[in-house]
Amino acid sequence: MGSMFTLNFLSEILLSTIRMATPLLLVALAELYSERAGLVNIGLDGIMAFGALAGFMVCYITGNPTLGLLAGAVGGVLINMIYAYCTINLCAEQIVYGMAINIFAPAVASFIYRVYFGVSSTLAQATLMKAVAIPVLKDIPVIGQLLFNQTPMVYIAYLLVPLTAIFFNRTKAGLNYKAVGEHPKAAETLGINVVKQKYIACIICGLLAGIGGAYLTTCYVNTYSDGIVAGRGFIALSAVIFGHWTGSGVLLACLLFGFFDALQLRLQIISVTTPYQLFQMLPYIFTLVALAIMGAKKAGPKSKGQPYRREER
Amino acid sequence: METKKKLLSVSVPLLSVVLAFLIGALIIAFLGASPMDSLVYLFQGAFGSATNIGNTLVKATPLIFTGLCACFAYRCGVFNLGGEGQFIMGSITAIWVAAGWGIEGKGAAVIALMLGMAAGGLWGAIPGVLRIVRGLNEMIVSIMLNYVATLFMGYIYTLVLREGSVPQTLPVPDATKLTRIIPGMRATSGLIIALALAAAVYYFLFYTSKGFQLRAVGLNPTASRFNGFPINKFILASFVVSGAIAGLGGAAELLGTQFRLMSGYGLGFGFDGVAIALIAQRNPIATVLVAYFFAVLRVGATTMQVGAGVPTSVIEIIQALVIVFAVAGTALVRLPEIQQLLLPRSATKEEK
Repeated sequence: MGSMFTLNFLSEILLSTIRMATPLLLVALAELYSERAGLVNIGLDGIMAFGALAGFMVCYITGNPTLGLLAGAVGGVLINMIYAYCTINLCAEQIVYGMAINIFAPAVASFIYRVYFGVSSTLAQATLMKAVAIPVLKDIPVIGQLLFNQTPMVYIAYLLVPLTAIFFNRTKAGLNYKAVGEHPKAAETLGINVVKQKYIACIICGLLAGIGGAYLTTCYVNTYSDGIVAGRGFIALSAVIFGHWTGSGVLLACLLFGFFDALQLRLQIISVTTPYQLFQMLPYIFTLVALAIMGAKKAGPKSKGQPYRREER
Repeated sequence: METKKKLLSVSVPLLSVVLAFLIGALIIAFLGASPMDSLVYLFQGAFGSATNIGNTLVKATPLIFTGLCACFAYRCGVFNLGGEGQFIMGSITAIWVAAGWGIEGKGAAVIALMLGMAAGGLWGAIPGVLRIVRGLNEMIVSIMLNYVATLFMGYIYTLVLREGSVPQTLPVPDATKLTRIIPGMRATSGLIIALALAAAVYYFLFYTSKGFQLRAVGLNPTASRFNGFPINKFILASFVVSGAIAGLGGAAELLGTQFRLMSGYGLGFGFDGVAIALIAQRNPIATVLVAYFFAVLRVGATTMQVGAGVPTSVIEIIQALVIVFAVAGTALVRLPEIQQLLLPRSATKEEK
């Protein structure tokens, strides 16, 4: 009986780990694509907040979570274009501008929500995306239900990891992409359009981060509230550092962070007497401890954070 | 030429404010209200009576603290996004002294302020130490610590210093509350502390040799290292001081305005501080002015909502637009092309 309980407990934790890690993974990949082109974007929290709202609104109005996710993607790209223009064309400091996005985007999101739903209305609820089981694979004992009975977004997010690895390491386009982040001037002399590549990076980043935000309101909870992102953008940012700017490393980091999120939720249910706030601290403290143990020595794309001026010597 | 540069650095935020207000007016018109009426209500709300002026000053006080907190670290080239956590840790320490020690009076207030400041400084030291020792990104660390501090505060007001059935702490005893400076206004001596602090930070940064070195580290760490400045010490010190400023602000807010901790306490003050410091272009005196401007908007917004029927969140958009424009504008005037256009002879010189 006891062993049954632990098996059940474990599989439930693993199940929610996979779900919790999905938005982190999407957003961490967004940051990976951005940083690979030399753009450090700390505005992920803001983009996610806007994506979460866009996703929720469209899902609420149309009743279709897939459209909601698409809306989140579009919203994320739109917000990130402000960042793109200001950092690429105006050469604004990336960190500072990312921070501006973190303040701007949630304000817009919360404004739209309040104008549309009124100030004192009851919590609006939208439909959640349904899980789609993959035939045959879902019948594998234990892991079948864990891995192959999820929402389509989960599959897409995890599929993106090998695709990203192949793109960056095995394709010419991917190598050109990385060259922009490592040494933009050398890339330019090779005939790569650096500015265009950076814009593409920003589109991918906005798209994935927007979807990551929309995931929260279309696949995870069916409501929108201010602060729903709860620092996930920054956790994703640390996942990129923790994962050493590689697809697989980022996946591992997100799974670890997701695991601690899942664990704290389970612990809250099991141990009612312990104050829940102490459990809720776990993912944040774990992120800190993990980063502190790993250390973050100089790594990552060489030109990250640097503005690129074509005319400059 | 120097005056022209100064003029430029002042005109960017001012233009940003104008632009943000224009867009705000468009949004208000779009919502079917009159932008002009809304503006009148806004100013009535902020300046209409002695009470309102006092309320604006009360709102400005914590923003001045967190603005200075962000400003100070930013001068040393590091980003302290943890103002909120440091503010909250200062507040927790202050309520612990004021409501948990069983002491009352002015002496208790002073102890609470000092320990609040120390707690903020300690909380601020964590990202500094982790950055120096382990090379961690200080932004991520300070953000994570905000969540930890907020949750810790939740633990305090639900379990440790809880008052009855409501999840909030015991109040600060009347004798320990900060004194009001002008009769009929809610502004307290916390405001005096904030203003004195701004002056002190300004003096330190621009009139002392350590302040000069700190700014040098922020502007060019490599050159500073070759000059023999202890970079790591400066970074750590800037974090501790920055955190201490926020912690003192938290203690002053608790003892002067809020009197108890509850859900939502301190929410957003850290990022507001960062926004204020960015618009103020890291100048402590400008930080005070921008913080006051933010407070005017916030206090006025409530009156505007009642009078013109415009939701207060319009004000949040206007604030956010100011920062989006101000940061973009600052970058824009630094572009070589624009520099040549605006300041023909200084085009090759770097800004101060």
